[in-house]
Amino acid sequence: MSILTDDKQFLKDRIPSLLRERCYTTISPDVMHLMKKAYAEETSSSAKEMLKTQIKNVEMAENQKKPVCQSPGFATVYIRHGKGVNIDDLADVLKKEIVNATKDGFLRPSMVHPLTRKNTGDNSGVGIPNIELEYAPALSFMEVIISFKGCGAELGNAMKIFTPAQIGEGAKGIKEFVIDTAIQAGGKPCPPFALGIGIGGQMDVAAKLSRRAVSVRRWTDHNPDPELASMEQELLGMLNQLGIGPGGIGGKTTALAVKIGMSHTHTAVCPVAVNFHCWVARRAGMRIYPDGRIQYLFDEEVS
Amino acid sequence: MKEVSLNTPILKEQVLNLDVGDVVYITGVVYAARDMAHLRIRKLLRDKESLPEDFNGGVIFHAGPAVKKVDDEWKILVIGPTTSTRMEPYAEMVGQLGVRAIVGKGGMGESTIQSLTKYGGVYLLAAPGCGVVHAEAVKRVLRVHWLEELGVPEAIWVLEVNGWGPLVVGMDSHGGSIFKDIAQKATILKDQWFNVGGG
Repeated sequence: MSILTDDKQFLKDRIPSLLRERCYTTISPDVMHLMKKAYAEETSSSAKEMLKTQIKNVEMAENQKKPVCQSPGFATVYIRHGKGVNIDDLADVLKKEIVNATKDGFLRPSMVHPLTRKNTGDNSGVGIPNIELEYAPALSFMEVIISFKGCGAELGNAMKIFTPAQIGEGAKGIKEFVIDTAIQAGGKPCPPFALGIGIGGQMDVAAKLSRRAVSVRRWTDHNPDPELASMEQELLGMLNQLGIGPGGIGGKTTALAVKIGMSHTHTAVCPVAVNFHCWVARRAGMRIYPDGRIQYLFDEEVS
Repeated sequence: MKEVSLNTPILKEQVLNLDVGDVVYITGVVYAARDMAHLRIRKLLRDKESLPEDFNGGVIFHAGPAVKKVDDEWKILVIGPTTSTRMEPYAEMVGQLGVRAIVGKGGMGESTIQSLTKYGGVYLLAAPGCGVVHAEAVKRVLRVHWLEELGVPEAIWVLEVNGWGPLVVGMDSHGGSIFKDIAQKATILKDQWFNVGGG
């Protein structure tokens, strides 16, 4: 018997507990690790004070069982699964848990109609949460990653369809676009932020790649593609020389991570999406194996 | 750089005395108000109708709390700053209302610099993403306006705060803006890196 194919109750139990234990009242452990590292390395006294308050806020939220931020952001769920896995009830389980968590005070009711701005009152709504399914027939486990990404950060986001001439040597044009976008964003995306960058495909593909890269990857990891890994490190280095700092009032801690996702594209274009993630990384992930074993993601503190 | 404690209502002279980089602590009444509340205030002013509060000498906090009702009384669970730039279109109106301090995150733009200079006000930065810390300073909810129509985040929450801070003066009444300075310096760096206008 496999939990993944035969046990309908399993996900109904595990998804709410994953969120309640690891998402609403705390931030992703890898991000907390980077925040503490930044605090140790920051030299500006006001920036250090800001980082200290931010770290303290997480500890207080954990201790008082309060939402770590008043804004729940917007939820996207990434699911990868193999053959025969029963996901019939998954969307329903997710929607119900978000409404229940709202009633219990873990999520502020923040979802509104995009045009009338009418609040649904319980974080229900069309397309809430956004669910991204990936079917990988050979996958032995099922992976569920839930990410609540803040929306102040969205205001800094930018997208551009580059022509081959605009890409420049060593992707100089793209790098300049990223740095310029970060300067325009300044303190708006709750720095220290992470950047997800989607490169390739068409507009929609690049946008989804950018959100996925910053949501499903550990912020302490390295891109397996050496070229992208080096671009991530170069951009991170540049971002942290800009002097924006925590909260946007100066300091050398502007960005915690840069994550690039790529797809091949058409010979005529190079779509690029730049996507900010605030430091309050509310996300949780797990891999569920057929025997019921669970492996939590983002736990390892790897620098 | 100085540390200043302010009680509401705040006087114009107190605000003129503040400079970018100073640290402020606020005690008194604070209005948590964001996009929809600002829009609604603008409509009421346009239609010459009365406002629910007198904002003269007041503090507007760009924020929408997470709340819980306990025994018929609203409790603030967490409240932290939202991105202030969205309220930039209301800069002149907020100045005219006599608001002395805007508290938020991310800073504001040119219209706000002009309004703060013209009417005498400051923009204060509250630590972003720190809603639990800020909620500690909130003693109680005095009133809430437009909750039914606008929903929890967009309603005006009238809060009593005690020693709320540290809040950093990000923009002062003399045209100073820490955000503008940082962006200018960063742009010079960027232009050097990418040889804009050069070889």
